Amino acid sequence: MFKTLISIVVVSFLFIHNLNAQTDQVVGLRENTPAVFALTNATVVTEPGNVTNNATIVVRDGIIEDAGRRVSVPEDATVIDLEGKRVYPGFIDMYSDAGMPDLGSPPQATAFQDIPEEYMEMLQGIMREEVTEDAGRLAAHWNPQVRSFYRSTDVFRPDRDAASVMRSQGFVMANIVPKHGIFRGYSTVASLGNDDAGNLIVNEDVAQVLSFSPSRELGGRYPTSLMGVVALMRQAFYDADWYDRAHEAYRQESGLEQPEVNISLASLADAVFKEVPFIADASDEIAFLRAHDISKEFALNMWMLGSGDEYKRIDAISQTGMPVIVPLDFRQAPSVEKPEETMNTSLSQLREWYLEPENPARLVEAGVPVTFTSNGLRNKGDFLNRLRTSVKRGLCEEEALKALTVTPAEMLGVDYKYGSIGEGKAASLVIADGNIFDENTSIRQVWVDGNKHVIEDEKDVSGKYRVEGEDILRNAVIEIKGSPARLSGSLTLDQESVDLASVSFDNQRMSFRFKGEDLGFEGNVRMSANYSEGELMGIGEKGDGTIFNWTAERTEEITKEEEERERREAPDLTLEPLYPQVEYGIREKPEQPSYVVVQNATIWTQGPEGKMENADILISEGRIEEVGRDISVPRRAEVIDGTGKHVTPGLIDPHLHSAIAGGVNETGYNMTAEVRIEDVIHPNTVWMYRLLAGGLTTAKLFHGSANPVGGQDAVIKMRWGGLPDEVLFEGAKPGLKMALGENVVRRSGQYPNTRMGAEQIIKDGFLAAEEYGKRLQEWEDDPSGIPPRRDLQLEALLEVLEGERKVHVHAYRQDEMLMMMRLAEEFDFTVGTFEHGLEGYKIADEIREHGAIPVVWSDWQSFKVEAYDGILHNAKLLNDAGVVTSLHSDNTQIATRMNWEAGKVVRTGLSQEDALDMITKHPAIALGVEDRVGTLESGKDADFVIWSGEPLSSFSIAEQTWVDGRKYFDREEDKERREEVKEERLKLIEHLLENRN
Amino acid sequence: MKKNITIKYSTIQVMRQLKNINKTISGLILPVAFLFCVSAVQAQIPAPPQDRPVALEGGTVHTISNGVIENGTVVFEDGKITAVGTDVDIPAGADVVDVSGRHVYPGLIHASTTLGLSEIGRVGETVDLNEHGDINPNVRAEVAFHPESEHIPTAAVNGITTVISTPTGGLISGMPAAMMTNGWTWEQMTLEAPVGMVINWPNMGRRDTRDENIEKLQNFFDDARMYQTVKKAAGEEGVPRHLHDVRLEAMIPVLEGELPVFINASELRQIQAAIAWAEKEDLRMVLVGGRDAGYVADQLAERDIPVILTPVISGPSRSWEGYDASYTTPLELYEAGVDFCIGGESSAAYAYRLMHHAGSAVAFGLSKEKGIKSLTLDAARILGIDDKVGSIEEGKDATLIVTNGNPLELWTRVEQVYIQGREDDMMDKQRRLYEKYKEKQRQAER
Repeated sequence: MFKTLISIVVVSFLFIHNLNAQTDQVVGLRENTPAVFALTNATVVTEPGNVTNNATIVVRDGIIEDAGRRVSVPEDATVIDLEGKRVYPGFIDMYSDAGMPDLGSPPQATAFQDIPEEYMEMLQGIMREEVTEDAGRLAAHWNPQVRSFYRSTDVFRPDRDAASVMRSQGFVMANIVPKHGIFRGYSTVASLGNDDAGNLIVNEDVAQVLSFSPSRELGGRYPTSLMGVVALMRQAFYDADWYDRAHEAYRQESGLEQPEVNISLASLADAVFKEVPFIADASDEIAFLRAHDISKEFALNMWMLGSGDEYKRIDAISQTGMPVIVPLDFRQAPSVEKPEETMNTSLSQLREWYLEPENPARLVEAGVPVTFTSNGLRNKGDFLNRLRTSVKRGLCEEEALKALTVTPAEMLGVDYKYGSIGEGKAASLVIADGNIFDENTSIRQVWVDGNKHVIEDEKDVSGKYRVEGEDILRNAVIEIKGSPARLSGSLTLDQESVDLASVSFDNQRMSFRFKGEDLGFEGNVRMSANYSEGELMGIGEKGDGTIFNWTAERTEEITKEEEERERREAPDLTLEPLYPQVEYGIREKPEQPSYVVVQNATIWTQGPEGKMENADILISEGRIEEVGRDISVPRRAEVIDGTGKHVTPGLIDPHLHSAIAGGVNETGYNMTAEVRIEDVIHPNTVWMYRLLAGGLTTAKLFHGSANPVGGQDAVIKMRWGGLPDEVLFEGAKPGLKMALGENVVRRSGQYPNTRMGAEQIIKDGFLAAEEYGKRLQEWEDDPSGIPPRRDLQLEALLEVLEGERKVHVHAYRQDEMLMMMRLAEEFDFTVGTFEHGLEGYKIADEIREHGAIPVVWSDWQSFKVEAYDGILHNAKLLNDAGVVTSLHSDNTQIATRMNWEAGKVVRTGLSQEDALDMITKHPAIALGVEDRVGTLESGKDADFVIWSGEPLSSFSIAEQTWVDGRKYFDREEDKERREEVKEERLKLIEHLLENRN
Repeated sequence: MKKNITIKYSTIQVMRQLKNINKTISGLILPVAFLFCVSAVQAQIPAPPQDRPVALEGGTVHTISNGVIENGTVVFEDGKITAVGTDVDIPAGADVVDVSGRHVYPGLIHASTTLGLSEIGRVGETVDLNEHGDINPNVRAEVAFHPESEHIPTAAVNGITTVISTPTGGLISGMPAAMMTNGWTWEQMTLEAPVGMVINWPNMGRRDTRDENIEKLQNFFDDARMYQTVKKAAGEEGVPRHLHDVRLEAMIPVLEGELPVFINASELRQIQAAIAWAEKEDLRMVLVGGRDAGYVADQLAERDIPVILTPVISGPSRSWEGYDASYTTPLELYEAGVDFCIGGESSAAYAYRLMHHAGSAVAFGLSKEKGIKSLTLDAARILGIDDKVGSIEEGKDATLIVTNGNPLELWTRVEQVYIQGREDDMMDKQRRLYEKYKEKQRQAER
């Protein structure tokens, strides 16, 4: 795809002035090389969209003294003729860690620049691990991932190799970011010259860097999940706010207990106060929106480090108004050479491969402020070629240039000097031999603050050379083939030809040897030559030791560019957007008709009307209007013949772990009530469509069961194609996942190790929450002294005690369920549900008395000891005892067939209607959404399923599934979708193969 | 019920009575005896061998081999079916059981399970599946079949009368056995053993392990052929004595074509490699698993390679496949003319869900007839036990189930199970716990 044959490697010739900082001690003689240049006859792009031909730029001591068409060349200037060249403002990389230290390998200190050890320790060492009991901790955040105090300025050590590669792509400056942690600290803006940090840094503490990927090298046990990262971020921002207020209160009033000193929170509070931008990394378009939610919550000025996936949700992304730092590390083309590879390639892989290069254009078209980064590219020398691909795929050249120059310069606060060419600006320039976006253009020079760096393409030495001069090989033809890394060749003299061996080229000198016998020489002939623009000037040594001189000139080049260009001209494909961009994604939200009637069906209302034969159901704008017989059909109503069909409420699964990003368990600690599934909903899975195909319309997404107090859950509707906040079931009762039994006690080495301990740790948490509530109340009554800190963990527990949040307790055995009910009674709340509740039947009466809802499997059992007494009759016995009982899946595939799960329970003697309640009405109650869904009654949401036969029968399938009065699944339309998926896959595969050959 | 039951005050008989009472007049009579003896009741007490003829009269008899007989009668004696039809002589002294309104089917066959070999998945001590090492052709499932496993009666009362209990793991896992789900000892419960040799075809996507494992398998087969040659020559003039090798010894029936190889393969490259290899080695192959079998259905049909398809209730393995890809595989195989039966989940605890897998295939287009056949006669034939089970025919084992409907329907109840004429007591751990905690509820109400 890219210009790989003649990859650009770089040779930098540096012309330096002023290597020492002003305050440095002079060692030896003073050096005062003059630095006055006049660049003449150039085509100058002074800023995007502004081109001046035949211009002159005068540079004095790194600064542009004058630039324009009628500029006179000063007497003291050295003239550099740039006839035929184009000059651009130097590019700025918005996100680079070049020159930032790795953990574990601090920069080598030299004799002159020794960094005190304690200082380094603070910067890198101690923060790496949690404190042991016998060593005090720094006055920093308890979590080693929170390093907002860290300043790139303090540790930036120019990496000349990295800078050289970046310059080869036109970069003269970068926003240098720290590498480690969730709160990574301050970035610093530095020029990419070969100088000391002190001379390169141009703006300090420009942005605070956040990352959703914790650095394991820093140690610490929390967070282990994405939702834990979000929770830690939120808590830290709240803590920073508290920190300021607490210290302020302490200063105001004597006699108070001193709040802790914490450099992490202090710097974070300071950054928020000063409205320093926060740069956050988004791993995909959903992560982008997640980060945006955080920026809204804390009113942050946020810039996003993009992923390349922004185009997938361009409307939502552009609405955030956040600028995007766009990477160009496009995904590799999937391998589709063999049928089995093709079969294992998904539509999303193919679409991503094809569409990602269009991402920059889509962002610009949508009005998103765009800048670029080479971050993510394994070979940063590919940047320019990738950018050119994006230009070819619709990115306007002027916008591309803006994103590389003026936009980043403004954002980084350096536009007074960088980002454009003009009087008073720094001489940080790119000099190319043509339009920089043309793939045949090469960058010739890059100037960084007045220092000229010559960039050269990797030399292509292939071709035919004719030997000249008075030597023994006169008129011989040497043919060199291949790339410099892998050369071969032959030598022809008087029609005799020999292969060359050991052909090599090291950028300056070419060498090879050949067996001389065929040409009448003795032994091996060894030859080498200096290469300069197609001319070889060399010496040779024959087998007998005779030395000879030779020269040769290239007469013919071997080019491959023609065919390469042809290959790339394949016509572009038109791919309509898909939401989400996976198989069976939709082009637009299904319409919500003003009236829909299903006529003459068997309607299982699950409400007071019970099951109605030959009945109709009328839907209007997403709500159920009426269920009854012979309903009069409003005009323009969509009528569905339900003869022989059965209609039920949409099925509800109150326990699912699908559509969650970054792990379903936060295992860092045993008490993690602060983490929220709502923060990590990821609805881009084809499984959501499959769930709809099985009649499922609502589900609760749960945290796992690794800890006694897990995390907060989220209820979603299967609004396929929706964004996380669109699939959220608005108004559902908040919940908190808790867990008992084997899962929480089996991890040895941490509390609890027994079911006894499980009770105590939960009790301890609720006691703390109670005290937290009292403290908040005290503060409300009398806001004096040190304010209380907002504690997201205790807040969630307090909500449970106040009845605003339900607890959903993972439990198998009767003893632990009983314990939990008694514990809840002690704190005066009711357990919302018991999840799995395999032995619920053993304490059916006790559960009824307490009022918990068992959420159970039909018959999943015996996979572990505490599951050994699981029986199919569980739901039946609970139901017989008058307990409101629900079924659940805990598994995405099972969730696609909840009707069959309920059908199984019918075998125990339960009626079909009772069993159906367990996947409709009862889970609705368990989720606190029973006023909206779960039954077919007038006024409720139009979430329903049309079945081919009796809904719970082994032989029945869902034919249509409606959510909010919109048809999200239709078995007939599904057939067409399959064809569309097939066609598009084939189109992309064909395109890929055409382009590859 | 015309059945003339002599009331014996044994626990079993009381339980049987109670079961019938619960079924027919539930709640009307609550014998005090029940309360007295409930705690003493154990799951499934095997019945003695059939000691007098039994006639199931007036039911819908699904013979499988010979159509459906309405108002039919099945007579069996000494564990064997002696008559099937509408007009049959009932031997004197026979127990006549009125099954009018009921359906009689051959017992269902689970062609691929770990029943009897595994109790609680996460407790290693209760799992006897995967012997040490990669090559274990000599181990035989029946000797580790644990008659006390709680999952066996659960399978039985749900109509699963015959199971192929299968060792797992490694390259050659061992020899599965056809086991009956009722009996006192493994010996009594063995219907036929061995029924095959389990081979797990290497993962073709991983080149590092693939080549190594295929080579290992090939070398072992080559060694086995040398051993076979040696054994044939044993005792001949001038042939020295050769030492025994239990692994190689176990391979002789396979090499001689007496024992089929059950090759586990799910991905299409695996399936094709297995087919080609079995052909080259001249083995009788049965494909087990077969997730991608639909993609190579014609090749399977052409070569008459039977398939034990497991499991049907499953998600698609590729994102572009239809949501029902796994449910429609049986229909695809059927339409391509592949000889197949349907297995369920391998987990012992879920052996009794076998029929749901066939039921789901019916929901997505397979005929109900083929659905049932794939759990009975087709399975028996593929497993080589159709001389004993799989259909209701004279001379076959009286291994039958009486149901209140089509066994593929989720709520159909199996009311009575006969295994070789022995009447199952229809009691399992699930029912026992149900009865026990029903009693807790009764006490709470009082």
